[in-house]
Amino acid sequence: MSLARAAAIILSKELRAEFRTRELLNTTVVFVVMVIVLFSFTFDPSSAESRRFGPGLLWLAFLFAGSLMLHPSFAREQANDTLSALRMAPIEPFAILAGKVLANFLFLLLAELLLLPLFAVLYNVHVVPVLGRLLLVFVLGTLGLTTVGTVFSAVAAQARMRELLLPLLLLPALAPVLIASAETTAGLLGDPPRLDPNWLAILVAFDVVFLTAAWLFGEYLLEE
Amino acid sequence: MSARTHSVPTFGVAALVALAGYSALFLAPTERTMGLIQRIFYFHVPSAWTGFVAFFIVCVASVAYLLKRAPKWDWLAVSAAEVGVAYFTAVLVTGPIWAKPVWGIWWTWDARLTSTFVLWLLYVSYLLLRTLVSDSERRAMVSAVFGIFAFLDVPLVYLSIWFWRTQHPQPVIGGGGLDPRMWPVFLVCWAALLGVMVLLLRQRYLLEALRHQVQEMAMEAQMGDQSESFENKQVVRAKGAQ
Amino acid sequence: MKNLESLMAAYLFVWAIFFVYQLTVGRRVARLQAEIERLKETLGQGSR
Repeated sequence: MSLARAAAIILSKELRAEFRTRELLNTTVVFVVMVIVLFSFTFDPSSAESRRFGPGLLWLAFLFAGSLMLHPSFAREQANDTLSALRMAPIEPFAILAGKVLANFLFLLLAELLLLPLFAVLYNVHVVPVLGRLLLVFVLGTLGLTTVGTVFSAVAAQARMRELLLPLLLLPALAPVLIASAETTAGLLGDPPRLDPNWLAILVAFDVVFLTAAWLFGEYLLEE
Repeated sequence: MSARTHSVPTFGVAALVALAGYSALFLAPTERTMGLIQRIFYFHVPSAWTGFVAFFIVCVASVAYLLKRAPKWDWLAVSAAEVGVAYFTAVLVTGPIWAKPVWGIWWTWDARLTSTFVLWLLYVSYLLLRTLVSDSERRAMVSAVFGIFAFLDVPLVYLSIWFWRTQHPQPVIGGGGLDPRMWPVFLVCWAALLGVMVLLLRQRYLLEALRHQVQEMAMEAQMGDQSESFENKQVVRAKGAQ
Repeated sequence: MKNLESLMAAYLFVWAIFFVYQLTVGRRVARLQAEIERLKETLGQGSR
């Protein structure tokens, strides 16, 4: 079976499993809303400041939510040891990882898109004129987040205290994505809106480097 | 065994360190604007460079472990990671000591120092990860993958924070360009720090190797006890049958 | 001179970090070497 087909099957399994209950999606969305609201208590989100701090807070919220929701990615498999079953299937081990990366990517992206209108309202920013470019940033940033996040989730799954370990591993490693995404978003929401090509280049570089690394080394994590 | 074979390189490095200290404190020309405090530079910057070398070793050792699966590569990886963290700790300590007299504040979110902080946290979490996995093979494996990813992140962290700082400038710790007379001193200090790194690595690697040896011998001793008691049981049974 | 104090503090800290690290590792190495000697004796006795 080809890699693409195998990954697609894993992806559809993950999607179906999640949409049966939607618990991950619901919890993630609510969590991000709470983080955004709580952030506003720490400073006064009147227009000038909110435009400066808003994008950073948004991506910080995505980062926190992402690192929490990535944990079940491999932890879920451990209850009934379904990972061993997957490993025995006649597919490339990387397909399992790829399928999970794609699934996590879609979940997190969906959560982000659901939250964007709320953010726009709460922080008084004009999202519609730059929607297309904003989507590009969301896709690139989220891809970087979930690639590294899924691999580290597999790492943490083999350790104790994995709920605390995963954010601990992720937060320093994802600093480039946080900075690049926040700065690009801030540029787009600024006056006049601009898409900085340098930050985009950094996001693309991050995604390429870690997708390649995941492809080269990720499967070792799935060994018995 | 250890004392004699180690003493020559140890003395060599000690001499290099003495030379480095002397040059940095007395031989190097005094910088015009900052005066004496600038001499911290001779240890602040090379410590960062040496830390990078250590983390590069972590990456190489990690790849080697994934390919060869020999435990010695894992021993090298953890040793290099600890030594690297020690060097970056030195960078993080000397930065504020420099900043306070020059800028009046301990921390300025300067690009180099901020990046160092992030990377320090990253490799501290590498060490933390290792304490949380009990099985030694699994620990070696997950550390190896994390170690590779961590090193790949290093240039990206520096790039993104440096670019962030050019857009939102802050006071820079470390000052501007280097007077050409300062280069030889800088290089001697870096050589000294690299020498110390090699010595520290060797010791730490030895510690891992000894741990492994103790584990094996302890297991052997245990099996020896078990087979002894098994023999005793045989003797007792034989006697009972008589 | 104030700057001299900071300079000395910096140098001291740097070498202290490496010195303490070397000390702690060295002590553990010595302890393990003693343990190995002890185990060698035990194994030597056991093999009779």
